Amino acid sequence: MPLILFILRKAGQALATMLAVSLLVFLALEVNVDDVAVKVLGQFSTAEQRAAWLEANGYNAPFLWRYFDWLVSFVSGDWGMSTYYRAPITDLIPDRLAATAWLALGALSLIVPFGLGLGVLAGMRPGSLTDRVVSVLSVVTTSIPDFASAVFLSIVFVFWLGLLPGASTMIGGFSLKELVLPVLVLALYSTGYLARITRASMAEVMATPYIRTARLKGASLPRIVFRHALRNALITPITVILLQVPWLLSGVIVVEVFYAYKGFGTLLYEAAINSDIYLIEACAMVSVLVVVTTQILSDLAYGLLNPRVNLLGAPKPAKGDAA
Amino acid sequence: MTEKSKIETTSGKPAHPQVESLCDQLTAGRIDRRSFLRSMTWLGVTAASASAFAGFIPAPARAETPVAGGKLRFGCAIQEITDPALTSWIEASNLYRNSLEYLTYVDADNIVHPYLAKSWTPSADLTVWDFELDERAKWSNGDAFAPEDVIANIQRWTSPDSKSSNKTAFEAIKLVEKTGPHSVRFTLSRPVASLPEQLYSYTCAIVHRDFDKSGANWPANPIGTGPFKLVSFEVGRQATFAKRADYWGTPAHLDEIQYIDLGTDIATHLAALASNQVDLIYRATIAEYDLMKSLPNIQILTGSAAHTLVMRMQVDAKPFDDIRVRKAVQLAADNKQMLDVVYRGEGQIGGNYHVSPIQPDHFALEPVARDVAKAKALLAEAGYPNGIDIELTLGNTQGRWEQDTAQVLQQNLAEAGIRLKLNVLPAAQYWPVWDKVPFGATYWAHRPLGSMTLDLAYRSGAAWNESHFADPAFDAALDKAMGTVDPEARKAAMQTAQTILRDQAVMVQAYWPARFSAAGKNVRGFVLHPADYFRMDGVWLAKA
Amino acid sequence: MIRLVRPYLTHPLVAVGGAVTLLWLVLALFAPLLAPFDPLKTILPLARPLTPAPGGGTLWLGTDMLGRDILSRLIYGARTVVLYSTLATLSAYAVGIALGLSAGYLRGRVDAALSFLANVVLSFPVLVLYIVIIVVIGASPLNIILAVVFSSAPAIFRIVRALTIDIATRDFVQVARTQGEGSLRIMLVDILPNATGPLAVDFCLRLGYTAITIGTLGFLGLGLPPPTPDWGTMVNEGKAMAIAFPHLVIFPCIAISSLMLGLSLLADGLKELSEAKGRGA
Repeated sequence: MPLILFILRKAGQALATMLAVSLLVFLALEVNVDDVAVKVLGQFSTAEQRAAWLEANGYNAPFLWRYFDWLVSFVSGDWGMSTYYRAPITDLIPDRLAATAWLALGALSLIVPFGLGLGVLAGMRPGSLTDRVVSVLSVVTTSIPDFASAVFLSIVFVFWLGLLPGASTMIGGFSLKELVLPVLVLALYSTGYLARITRASMAEVMATPYIRTARLKGASLPRIVFRHALRNALITPITVILLQVPWLLSGVIVVEVFYAYKGFGTLLYEAAINSDIYLIEACAMVSVLVVVTTQILSDLAYGLLNPRVNLLGAPKPAKGDAA
Repeated sequence: MTEKSKIETTSGKPAHPQVESLCDQLTAGRIDRRSFLRSMTWLGVTAASASAFAGFIPAPARAETPVAGGKLRFGCAIQEITDPALTSWIEASNLYRNSLEYLTYVDADNIVHPYLAKSWTPSADLTVWDFELDERAKWSNGDAFAPEDVIANIQRWTSPDSKSSNKTAFEAIKLVEKTGPHSVRFTLSRPVASLPEQLYSYTCAIVHRDFDKSGANWPANPIGTGPFKLVSFEVGRQATFAKRADYWGTPAHLDEIQYIDLGTDIATHLAALASNQVDLIYRATIAEYDLMKSLPNIQILTGSAAHTLVMRMQVDAKPFDDIRVRKAVQLAADNKQMLDVVYRGEGQIGGNYHVSPIQPDHFALEPVARDVAKAKALLAEAGYPNGIDIELTLGNTQGRWEQDTAQVLQQNLAEAGIRLKLNVLPAAQYWPVWDKVPFGATYWAHRPLGSMTLDLAYRSGAAWNESHFADPAFDAALDKAMGTVDPEARKAAMQTAQTILRDQAVMVQAYWPARFSAAGKNVRGFVLHPADYFRMDGVWLAKA
Repeated sequence: MIRLVRPYLTHPLVAVGGAVTLLWLVLALFAPLLAPFDPLKTILPLARPLTPAPGGGTLWLGTDMLGRDILSRLIYGARTVVLYSTLATLSAYAVGIALGLSAGYLRGRVDAALSFLANVVLSFPVLVLYIVIIVVIGASPLNIILAVVFSSAPAIFRIVRALTIDIATRDFVQVARTQGEGSLRIMLVDILPNATGPLAVDFCLRLGYTAITIGTLGFLGLGLPPPTPDWGTMVNEGKAMAIAFPHLVIFPCIAISSLMLGLSLLADGLKELSEAKGRGA
């Protein structure tokens, strides 16, 4: 039963967070009522039209009342109309989120095997040539911002080599070829990051007394790695992978905008540059929901992988404590 | 040249009295052929007979025969569309241009042709215009196109609570009435010679007479008379049009056109073109010129147009309410440097009066030389001996060259002690404030005539008068220019209007940038219309 | 003193990373002295690298579309990126440390409330948070710093809080407490100095991320208004012409990557050193 209790507790925390986030978002975007009217009714509206609209839509009510009203509609699935796309927001978001999920899935399918694999290879023999090459590569790739790699990859693969399509609109249906460049840009950065974490974790495990004892007893390196080290070494990286999802949500904005990929990132970006406030609110809420969910999953994974942590119990031992 | 007697009118009625004088002027060499053709077509003369008189040989038949069928993919921003008369983006008009038609059609050479109206006949004083509608025209819902449709449109443009820019453009229309089963009469309060030409402004698409009753939202109820029908429309994603089998006129070549939104970055548009994801892109700028040249599988389209960036000052806002400040800005600006640096000299220099040398009614004013010392002196006189801080708001609505132009201006003005701050907004955030900011850089699209632009932007109280400029002498000169058919007399009136506008120092209008776009090698029949009014019914795809 | 500093200077990662970071910092601080040209002045449009300038001097890295010297723009751009990032990160640290110390030392309701608030802010993906803030308050140097503080302070708060809770249990803190030292003094004198190791590592990385985020905002066209030179904006401006004039984007990309690389190396080195010290103690 502790698992269910754990999930319930986490869900409760998540709910509280979402509530606070909703208040924050609403506060930021809808405190100034006149701004809202201009943004919704547009540049051609007159002062009278705006006043009438504000009255008709309950904007003259006190702030908290408006907030609760908004919250109730939001929870009941009425997210309002996008002023830019002229469509109900609930119609817009699922498709865009699905498109971004494909992108993230593609990126993760490169990040996870390469990040973990290279990290383990490097961390197995700290100080070896493999370790140095992997470390240098990963520190270099994590230093290149995604907008820079997007520009360079498209110069090379689209314009010089003519191998890959330059825009990833997916208007003509799903296309694997159009997915390559955005996925590559996302993966380039995160693979290096994951490799660094995995390497550090692996190197730490390899330095623990019981592994050293096993080595002294003459067990072969692959045997040690697969039988003993890996399980312990992968705890941190796997939780890190889940925590990469929020990072990907940031990364997709640049990549999607650059490659004209019609996903969640472009939606948020276009909502922002067009001051489409209801859509910004919805996008912010959805992205926070994604983050909160992955945090729960990450905690869960950590607890399941690490038998020393009692899911309901005391906080994890702080780093630096003798374990 | 043929004889005057061979001149035919679109209506078959006797020609307007001024036709004869125009013919004489052309024969005497006082006006050029283009001015002649334009003026003749305004007066309802057929383009063919006017060209024949002017000695234009009809273009030889194309070596290639158009191929019917196929789907063309057009990279273009998909903006929201509701009421065509309220559209503020030409991109949006190019979408509904496939389904909605106009009373007249102005081609890339600025010659007016019949469209939904098959002929027009102005009265001798140019205040009463009889339009004969094409009786074949039909709405996609089966209704016949009728005078009631025209009347409903004109009324909704010019009604007191209209928010359309058409309100100013057609403010002279006093009355529209049905005079027969297929004819309407426009009665004007003052002569307007170019009425047929104005009816092809992008906001003048003719919608069904029940448009307002059915919700005033075109994509939701896409009834039209045009050769294509709207199949799907998703803002920010794509829009698809399919050929109509039951179109009343000459059918289009393409089966389908898909407009694809490729985001705001033109480099991405070219990348999509290079990798054959689209066949045509809407526009490129000087920044992409080298990129275009480096792509082997595309054709570069170029042209010139009377489109420009106008950095205008509101004459009633501080500190620009002092003409000395405005004059100082104008004198310190180096228009040539802006053209040379930002557009690499590809274009024509502007003279700060918003009429282009390619517009037929342009009067070439003597340029005013840059004078930094005088600018400084004027500022000191206006009470700013230590220079002045001003802010320019801009939105890069057509690309980064707008911002680049402003940055060169910034350097120019610094020499005169004017510290210019740039306030760059995202394009979509610029339009809500474009006519409100004291100093703003606004892109103005091409208009066939200089007087049309001046009428929209600088007439006292005009809907798009962003500078709040108001001058009765200017308005009078403009009235005179617009009521005149004779190209020479028109130019003389324009000289007055242009001089007033320039000397009142309303704007820095530095240059007229050249136009660029690009298409796949197999695209045929696409005309880079100077106003970006792209009609797609003549476009076809050659077999590879 | 020398003995204290020496291991830092001889550690290869710290030395290399520190040198690169220091180089940019010096360039940023002394930009007016070091930049060969005025970064806003049109000299010669689209000159290739190593072109001699018309008025004397060499355009080492070429010029951009408006004819402005790229090297000078990079040096002045270091001001935008390095100085704003540093300023913003330092401000975020001030806020994060103050709140983290209080929460970790005082615990109780203050801690619960602050921790919850930090969790709320941290549940936004970073760029989403920045974009929302910029949409609401607009892009200006001050607002960008505010956005950084708002989004980074909670993360710093969390680290400081965890460290404080850990250190507060140590003997010397208990001793100080029994000697009747005030809370403020204990927090600032006894606890904070013992937390500097991990914080220094985090500071380097966070500074790098902030620089990249400011660059990303510039790249997305949401950054500082022109003509302020800014590396991300330079990449954005040059990318359309990059095929014909690669120098427009290569150098700003190298600049921002080298800064981030320097800071990562520095962080790695500091971490190794503090771990070695931890083992040695």
